Amino acid sequence: MAVYRRTRPRFILLLLVLTAITLLTLDGRGTGSGVIDTIRSGARDAFAPVGRAADSVLEPVGNFFTGMIHYGDLKAENARLREQNEELRGQALQAKNSEREQQALLDQLDLDYVGDIPRVRARIVNAAASNFELTFEIDRGTNAGIAKGMPVVSGAGLVGRVVDASRSRATVMMLTDSTFSVGVRMSSSGDVGVATGRGVRAPMKVDLIETATKVDKGEVVVTSGLQQSVFPPGIPVGLVREARTPPGALQQEVEIDPVVDLRRLEYVTVLQWSPKR
Amino acid sequence: MLTRLRLPLLFLLVLTVQKSLLSDIDVRDVRPDALLLFVVCAGLVSGSEVGALVGFATGLVADLFVQAPLGLSALVFSLLGYAVGAFRSNLIREIWWIPPLTAFVASMAGVVLYAVIGAVVGQSHFVRPQLVTTALVVGVMNAVLSLVLVRLTSWALSWAGQERYAR
Repeated sequence: MAVYRRTRPRFILLLLVLTAITLLTLDGRGTGSGVIDTIRSGARDAFAPVGRAADSVLEPVGNFFTGMIHYGDLKAENARLREQNEELRGQALQAKNSEREQQALLDQLDLDYVGDIPRVRARIVNAAASNFELTFEIDRGTNAGIAKGMPVVSGAGLVGRVVDASRSRATVMMLTDSTFSVGVRMSSSGDVGVATGRGVRAPMKVDLIETATKVDKGEVVVTSGLQQSVFPPGIPVGLVREARTPPGALQQEVEIDPVVDLRRLEYVTVLQWSPKR
Repeated sequence: MLTRLRLPLLFLLVLTVQKSLLSDIDVRDVRPDALLLFVVCAGLVSGSEVGALVGFATGLVADLFVQAPLGLSALVFSLLGYAVGAFRSNLIREIWWIPPLTAFVASMAGVVLYAVIGAVVGQSHFVRPQLVTTALVVGVMNAVLSLVLVRLTSWALSWAGQERYAR
């Protein structure tokens, strides 16, 4: 009896480990992935009402702690925004009577790079559930016409793509995630490359840009939209931070900063676009 | 019977707080991991068997909300719950700082184990230069949260016996 008591926890652990490894293998090989996807979607839908209620109750608490932790950053940003506000006020006065400039501003707000692609506006409801993923959850899902793989943008440019969608929620992977990559085109030369995320504070890396191509600092990089690309063409992705050619290299080392401030997003737009269109 | 409902209720509370509150609180882009801490507390309060079982169930639910392969958190959390429970069974005295210290060390170990096993099953990007910072920040934040959660877990697991750290 005493031996059984001593070995029981080990036996249970062994069973649990074997079960977990079986699940990992099934998921990794894609066997039963339909079932796993259904379970995942079901769990998200089931949790959505609880999450909504909790968000409304806990949001002020979260804001308090966030403000407390980032007090220094917020103070600095406040000063920067004040300065920017003064600048913008000056510019606004200059452009007060300019109908054309006002229209340009409105066009910008209307995501003119998106064209006539149908879109769904969504609010970000949760940040990533894991420290190993740069994702967020939005309050719209397949019921609103959102599907896996759809591009997600904001007024400034590309935010990421939908990686999972349940009926009432969808998960968006941000373009800075290290598993994210997108075909891009340099705006001045028209050269195409592939931009890859490298983490939340790190710039994205652009590969395949030839050494002879002239790349300017601050140059806009947009989605290439080549055949079979998962993103439509012309969506701003980033601005060139740095471009250099190491001796003997066959391509340039180009780094870009995303045009979208991913830490300040509240609403995003999902483009109902697929490569087949 | 009703006392047995405390554990799922507490689990739901922890999951809700993690997704609605803690996911918005970050230090150097790292957030606390209340689900991982819940497993550590279960092992600390009720031993290796309960620790492993709670770890598996918690990990399985955690896996439903992330993009990583299903079973990864379940595997890591089971091992962690068991290890913390085994450590606890060797404790001679109850001292107030043992739960936060255990939460700190076990959370760090959990983060590193998750990354390493994740890399083995194809998530090679989990092992990255910031891993040590991530583990450290999660460890510190979980240590602070453990002061509350260990008491709640002790209350929720009172039916499982071996109640400790409840005072």
